[in-house]
Amino acid sequence: MRVFGSSAARAALVGNNGLSIRADMLHRISALVTLLGLIIAFAFLNSAFLSLNNAMTILLQTAVIGLLGIGLTIVILTGGIDLSVGSVLALSGTAAGLLVKAGLPVPVGMGGGLVVGTLCGMVNGFVITRLRIAPFIATLGMMMMARGLALQLTGASPVSQLGAAFGWLGNGALFRIVETQSNGLPRMVFPGIPYPAILLLIVALAATYMLKRRQFGRHVYAVGSNEEAAHLSGVNVNHTKFAAYALSGFLAGLAGIVLMSRLVTAQPNEGVMYELDAIAAAVIGGASLMGGVGSISGTMIGAFIIGILRNGLNMAGVSAFIQQIVIGGVVIGAVYVDQLRNRR
Amino acid sequence: MSTSNSSAAPLVEMRNICKHFGGVQAVRDVSVDLYPGEVVGILGHNGAGKSCLMRMLSGAMIPSSGDIYLDGEKIEIASPTAARQHGIETIYQNLALANHLDAPANLFLGRELKTRFGNLDDKRMFEEAKGVLQRLNPNFKNLSDPVVRMSGGQRQVIAIARAIHFNVRALIMDEPTAALGPSETEMVAELVQKLRNEGIGIFLVSHDMQDVFRLCDRVMVMNNGRNVGSHKISDVTQDDVLSLIIKGSLPSGWRPRGAAA
Ligand SMILES: Nc1ncnc2c1ncn2[C@@H]1O[C@H](COP(=O)(O)OP(=O)(O)O)[C@@H](O)[C@H]1O
Ligand SMILES: [Mg+2]
Repeated sequence: MRVFGSSAARAALVGNNGLSIRADMLHRISALVTLLGLIIAFAFLNSAFLSLNNAMTILLQTAVIGLLGIGLTIVILTGGIDLSVGSVLALSGTAAGLLVKAGLPVPVGMGGGLVVGTLCGMVNGFVITRLRIAPFIATLGMMMMARGLALQLTGASPVSQLGAAFGWLGNGALFRIVETQSNGLPRMVFPGIPYPAILLLIVALAATYMLKRRQFGRHVYAVGSNEEAAHLSGVNVNHTKFAAYALSGFLAGLAGIVLMSRLVTAQPNEGVMYELDAIAAAVIGGASLMGGVGSISGTMIGAFIIGILRNGLNMAGVSAFIQQIVIGGVVIGAVYVDQLRNRR
Repeated sequence: MSTSNSSAAPLVEMRNICKHFGGVQAVRDVSVDLYPGEVVGILGHNGAGKSCLMRMLSGAMIPSSGDIYLDGEKIEIASPTAARQHGIETIYQNLALANHLDAPANLFLGRELKTRFGNLDDKRMFEEAKGVLQRLNPNFKNLSDPVVRMSGGQRQVIAIARAIHFNVRALIMDEPTAALGPSETEMVAELVQKLRNEGIGIFLVSHDMQDVFRLCDRVMVMNNGRNVGSHKISDVTQDDVLSLIIKGSLPSGWRPRGAAA
């Protein structure tokens, strides 16, 4: 009961200061400040960093991690984890590639990829809610199975020559302006907004709407806050969790077709360790692995922090190895700062 | 004390309820009735099986055997939702709140109000929650804070509000005052009396002998999973009840107080 006493005192303290900004708000603001700081720092280091072209590159690179991060945020909010998204991305992308290679129209092939991703997520949901396997183990198993299946189906070699239409989603852009020069060669006046970035924006808005305005979202937060309380309140805990994993699988599938489309090749080896970047994005954005805390906007900021760190460090000529070290440090730092704030 | 109870039909009848967990017999062949407008105190040591018995009525636990009747009809309470649909509401001993949700979200959890388009109607839920919470405790503020940041009293008020806001017929209160200060305890006592007068039947699990004697029409004492005594409160003294709790039997030579007079 003393626990109540201390939290009551804390609540009173917050009240006296007239601070109504919630802890998760604070986290997002500090993450946003970090993001702006990074942009300013990299802009000083390299003038090309702030160019329009580079901005579009960052958008494109962040889109994949962002899509995975949205799925992971929903899963993490329920108090779970999904380690399979990197592999499911590869399986979905290669499935789409193989279907197109087999002669199906591109939209149908890509739709097939989405179905494969969703099915993987549904299997995760089934194993977790019905077989009662811990999410870490269930999705670790799926991570291995989906990767193995992708490699088996393709004989571990990339599926190429998928045609220009396959690359439209990943390489196209809205409002792209290209003019033909006097020598007959095209010149890009404005790179346009990449379709993957637009897709990310739409998915982020839809997920935010679902989490904040729909009953499903309310139940996602409730399950992650206190599973037993949610159950006793009449929340269908199993349905909520199942849907969360299915959504995560669907978004991994979407990320898969976006990535393979960008490469215009279906690569069964793509997406290794992407799940860790996606988890990092969610955690940097304020999600708690204990469940019940986190937001799509936070995860988007987290995804951009990772994307910009990678891009900026690349441009500064920092090796990929050092990049890993830096990003690892940022993840730990973000969680540590959050803990400090909550302990206060 | 209402005396018309005996003529009315029972609201809830629990018949020969048993619950075991592996070899542990938590509840052994317990039968108990609850009439409309009646407060029945459930007493007993820690571990006597009070919460288990109540959880079987609230749908949080399925009996190993035994039957439950509502208005004389046998019902299956397969889930908390089923119990609520029958008008059986519960204030759980551990409150069962979702820590990171705010007061209105907790109050309406599982029964969210929606707009025409199926969106959450947070505005209406906030207004309704504000009404019911401030009626229970006029000082209730910061409704939009996550409940993890609230005091024990505030959390208790939310759990109570959630149980009485929807058409409740039978209310289970599992140690509702354990975490409360004197003024909040008084609020709960007044609420119990008010709800009783509205015809709601209440199971009140409590350790506070004074509260039990002040609020209850009957007591049922559990000892080691058994019902060791079901008595009208006017028939017993606090010492009688203590004897039931501790020894599992009434003092030797006991006769009903009413009859002795
Ligand atoms: N979910 C459970 N699994 C196993 N044993 C349980 C469970 N719930 C309660 N028990 C056991 O049942 C007995 C009665 O517990 P409970 O009903 O909580 O007692 P009370 O509320 O009277 O203090 C205790 O011995 C307790 O350990
Ligand atoms: Mg108990």
